[in-house]
Amino acid sequence: MSGGFPQALQFSIADSVNRVVDWLVLHYGDHLRNVSDQLLQVLVGLENLLRLMPWWLLLAMVGLLAWHASRSLLRSVMLVALLALIGMLGLWDKLLQTLALVLVSTGLCVLVGVPLGILLAARPLARRLLLPVLDVMQTLPAFVYLIPVLMLFGLGKVPAVFATLIYALPPLVRLTQLGLSQIDPSLLKAAHGLGASRWQRLRRIALPLALPSIMAGLNQSVMMALSMVVVASMIGARGLGEDVLAGIQTLNVGQGVEAGLAIVALAMVIDRISQAYGRGAR
Amino acid sequence: MKTIPALLAGLLLTVGLASTDSAAAAEQPAPIHFGAIGWESGALTTEILRLIVERGYGYPTDTLPGSTVSMEVALARNDLQVIAEEWAGRSPAWVKAEQAGQVFALGDTVKNAEEGWWVPAYVIEGDRDRGIEPSAPELRQVQDLKRYRQVFRDPESPGKGRFLNSPSGWTSETVNSQKLKAYGLNELYTNFRSGSGAAMDAEITSAIRRGQPVLFYYWNPTPLMGRYKLVRLQEPPFDANAWATLTDASNPNPKGSQSLPAKLSIGVSKAFRDGYPDLVRAFEQVDLPIQRLNQALANMSEKRTPPREAALAFLRDNREVWKAWLPADIAAKVEASL
Repeated sequence: MSGGFPQALQFSIADSVNRVVDWLVLHYGDHLRNVSDQLLQVLVGLENLLRLMPWWLLLAMVGLLAWHASRSLLRSVMLVALLALIGMLGLWDKLLQTLALVLVSTGLCVLVGVPLGILLAARPLARRLLLPVLDVMQTLPAFVYLIPVLMLFGLGKVPAVFATLIYALPPLVRLTQLGLSQIDPSLLKAAHGLGASRWQRLRRIALPLALPSIMAGLNQSVMMALSMVVVASMIGARGLGEDVLAGIQTLNVGQGVEAGLAIVALAMVIDRISQAYGRGAR
Repeated sequence: MKTIPALLAGLLLTVGLASTDSAAAAEQPAPIHFGAIGWESGALTTEILRLIVERGYGYPTDTLPGSTVSMEVALARNDLQVIAEEWAGRSPAWVKAEQAGQVFALGDTVKNAEEGWWVPAYVIEGDRDRGIEPSAPELRQVQDLKRYRQVFRDPESPGKGRFLNSPSGWTSETVNSQKLKAYGLNELYTNFRSGSGAAMDAEITSAIRRGQPVLFYYWNPTPLMGRYKLVRLQEPPFDANAWATLTDASNPNPKGSQSLPAKLSIGVSKAFRDGYPDLVRAFEQVDLPIQRLNQALANMSEKRTPPREAALAFLRDNREVWKAWLPADIAAKVEASL
């Protein structure tokens, strides 16, 4: 099976990787489960908070947010109608679970991604080292790292957040870095001349100027997070993805389409609102 | 410059012609397509059958990958000819195709295959070597689970226990959900669907490696069963009426019963059944003893042997098992090739 490649040059790291994973599970499994329980509390808390909210309040909040972002009544009504449609399909509770998952992973994305983007823009060495890492994150098939992560952190929402983070982080980092490196350097020099400190230059000039680009990155991150929902459901994270998966596995195409459309609807709502904010920033 | 593309095209053409020539020469009978089953027992059985078909009967074989449902659909269309481990009667796609006479289930390949709810033995007995205290010493049957929900605590909702169900979409998922209701565990345990077989295995293996209690649905024949000491929780004896309430997801008052004893067969397409009577006769005789199968699967999974090698080893170590299925001359050919 090994084709024409010389046998003597072949090697396999599979056994050592297996041993390392097994060793990690044995020695650190219990500690890591505790860490993951903490993150789980945040997720479940947010989920319960969303559940406590009456459905019309959530719809009204989305409507208000959409109006605040775009100042367009028609668009707000459309987006609210899209969300209501998911509820009408009987997927409201699953929608809330998916929403909680996407919100937490996107929140973590911003916490990690924006500082990382700033670092990449400021330090060429960091850029050279981290860009290949970003490539790996975007292309490594999710199940390759999901199963070990699952063995360490337990089945369910926490490994799903990790998987989403790994997959959805790179666009935010890249676009933050791009936005910052496209700023006219003379602006920063002028600010420097006027006595602005490093932090002030970043906070008052660079970040506001790069905001449209950062928002575009955030938007991409959210979209990729939503596209990970089905994969997340394959490791026991409940939500809309579960219905898609069950639909596929039982040849119930209708059920799969319903849940799939619900994911699309949720994506459109989040996309339009975040894009409107991005444009507003411009 | 123009000569280079022309040269390339000519070269491609020759290669193409040459390869179709040799393919046509080699391909007198079309290969028998087996479904490349992803789970271990299926993969091993597939390779055992392929070795027998190739070496004993001299037919070429091939495998095509796919999910369970898509393989069943492919079998009905004769895109596949053989599914080596078919849990016949479990999936709607199979039942429909069988009624239409497009597919047939041959033989009873693994007797005493079972499915049910399991816990690692150390949960009940403890394990002195690893320093594990028994956490549920009186757990014998499913009803006892009511007392032990704190042992199987679900981190997502700490007041409840966690029952690790199969992925949603599997037939067993419906049955297990109904069983939770039937045994009065619905309020006490989270019905946790594991999303995929790989995720379920990873979670169970991780729990066992760490010596933590875990309660899960599982089935035989599987590497897990040969590899670890597991205890199956007792359920009420099998009852056909109660079983009907368990398989119907919309039944509000299901009654408890052991699962229908699983019947594993070899699924074949109609064209295969008509075209290879010799193989059909052999397939109907196939009988894999579950203990040896579990052991072979445990070895295969622990040493991470490719299924083909594991199948060869199985044939070598269990000559009397497979010789009983085959006519003497065929068996001799297989034996000579080992």
